[in-house]
Amino acid sequence: MARTVMIVDDSLFMRKMLRDILEEEGYEVTAEASDGEEAVEKFRECRPDLTTLDIVMPNKTGIEALKEIMALEPAARVVMCSAMGQESLTSAASEAGAKAFIVKPFNPELVARVIKEVAES
Amino acid sequence: MDMSQYKSLFLSETREYLKSIAQTVVALEEAPSDRAGIDALFRAAHSMKGMAASMEYREVVTVAHAMEDLMIRVRDHGLPFGGGVADLLLEGADLIEGLLADVEADLEPRRAVGDYPQRLSAYTPEPQQAAAQPATAPEPAPAARTASAAADTSRPAETAAPPEGAQPVEGRPAAPGEKELSGELITVRVRTELLDHLINLTGELITNKHRLLNIGKELDSPLLKEAVSENGKLLHSLHDEVMKVRLMPFEMICDRFQRSVRTLAKKSGKELHFELEGREIGLDRGILEQLTDPLNHLLRNAVDHGLETAAERVAAGKPARGLVKLSVSRDRDRVLIKVSDDGRGMNPERIRQAALEKGFITEEEAERLSPRQALMLSCIPGFSTAREVTEVSGRGVGMDAVNASVQKLGGTLAIDSEPGVGSCFTLRLPMTIAIIHALIVQCGPLKVGVPVTVVHRTVELRRDQVETVGKRQVFHLDDEPVQLLSLNRVLGLPLGRFPSGIVPLFVTEAKGRQVGIVVDRLLGQHELFVKPLGRPLSKLHGLAGGAIMGDGEVVTILDLADLL
Repeated sequence: MARTVMIVDDSLFMRKMLRDILEEEGYEVTAEASDGEEAVEKFRECRPDLTTLDIVMPNKTGIEALKEIMALEPAARVVMCSAMGQESLTSAASEAGAKAFIVKPFNPELVARVIKEVAES
Repeated sequence: MDMSQYKSLFLSETREYLKSIAQTVVALEEAPSDRAGIDALFRAAHSMKGMAASMEYREVVTVAHAMEDLMIRVRDHGLPFGGGVADLLLEGADLIEGLLADVEADLEPRRAVGDYPQRLSAYTPEPQQAAAQPATAPEPAPAARTASAAADTSRPAETAAPPEGAQPVEGRPAAPGEKELSGELITVRVRTELLDHLINLTGELITNKHRLLNIGKELDSPLLKEAVSENGKLLHSLHDEVMKVRLMPFEMICDRFQRSVRTLAKKSGKELHFELEGREIGLDRGILEQLTDPLNHLLRNAVDHGLETAAERVAAGKPARGLVKLSVSRDRDRVLIKVSDDGRGMNPERIRQAALEKGFITEEEAERLSPRQALMLSCIPGFSTAREVTEVSGRGVGMDAVNASVQKLGGTLAIDSEPGVGSCFTLRLPMTIAIIHALIVQCGPLKVGVPVTVVHRTVELRRDQVETVGKRQVFHLDDEPVQLLSLNRVLGLPLGRFPSGIVPLFVTEAKGRQVGIVVDRLLGQHELFVKPLGRPLSKLHGLAGGAIMGDGEVVTILDLADLL
């Protein structure tokens, strides 16, 4: 079962909140990245079991980073984080291989459930 | 989930975004099609919205959401980025700043955001790009005009906490902005009181080092001396490191200057380009806090009095658009801050004439002044040659206040100006104000310290070098007469006798002129850890603080600018 997680979000606030939720659930957050480019780099280095990927970010959007990550590891488990009102982007992300979506503002229980489903898939 | 634990992170990160918004908006006004800037504004609004939604601060969400939507129109739907969009975004940033003040004060951020969202969604640019003439550009709606004008000049009255003044105190991380937000640097947020505490301890250690040195001398122990000297070196490094931590980038305060210059330009109807250099240069937090007012003053003068109108400039063969520049640089252990403009310049002759007419100087003194000294006359309280009173600059106040604040910080002010070409005001400041090098002098029973930064030089005169001109005693320094003042007299102590026939003094500047301050003895330069005086001593004029020497003796640090 997936245990290690990388959190990608350009907001420190969001990363911290997500980290707290995931650590509470027993996951080990082994990497954080604050933009799309860093996300791809760190994925290559750490190969986390699961990655959460924000969509709106500088230096490569989440969708661009997702495509590169999937090219590196077609079996990667990636959960996209999107804000409400970004529904139009979700289909692009699904096509590119995203396993699930979590919506900001985060509902901790919902986040935990979605992550668990993906982690155990 | 208990969200209160995220409050301070929410505040600091949102403020970083607000700051980067202010900077980016101003930059985009210069280059409205810069795609990266437009994207950055969109992301900033988007991120603020997301954070506020998590914290359930509904009003912040509403404002940030409206800003985000406006930026989507700019990014994807061809809305041009002009003065109108810039005004609305800055207004939104001010609204959020006000809401953050509530959050910080543990109030529900519930102040009304009015019709802000509606005005944004209804916004359409003026036909024909009226933005080309910023002074007369009609605003989107009358309501927008009043609201943004109020937000530009001063904070809304209901803002109980003063967010502007308090900003640097809140200990935000170094150099935010886009680069920082992308997380390139690993930073730790530290409460600023902790840093103050560290510098206090370091200062006490330095005082104690001097004590140990004295003991070493008395015991005549080479081993002890060596150990203490080694300790001294370590302390020196420690001091440097602690100082570095306390340094904050100039950036902490510079976005407000961008805002105020922009507002001033609009009000005065002048076209200008504002350049900012050296935002990354670090200054001690204590100094940074004291710089906002003097710099605002200088910038206001530059825009209001320095720059000519576009028509005047064109007639003089200059580009219609004026240049105002604020630059910060390092010069060894000093920081130089320059405010310059390419405007009409100052006329030393006119200033000399005005000072004479107002009775600030005598005919004789007027003749002897160099052009540079004449320019410094503008720092005499009550002096002003502004021909008209304007809403923004007023009259008769300004340069004296600027000069006084700079001297209070242990710095100096210099003015360079050429008529028709422009002016440059240079603030030369120490990097720290807590630990200073001071000239220690003896006056009667007192040991007093004067920051070496305000001491031009020390002189030991023979009696026959002192001349009496009228009621004044003067001596010649580099062929210029310098008036002598007795520090004993200023402090109300018995006057010195100088049995050896040598008169010790140091030269400093007062009211724009050099003066020689006569003391009983010059005791040398010392590293001092300055402590603020508690009440009621802090109310006394002319005192900047106190320090303890290695031998336990108390030294009073003088604020010469205030005293003379």
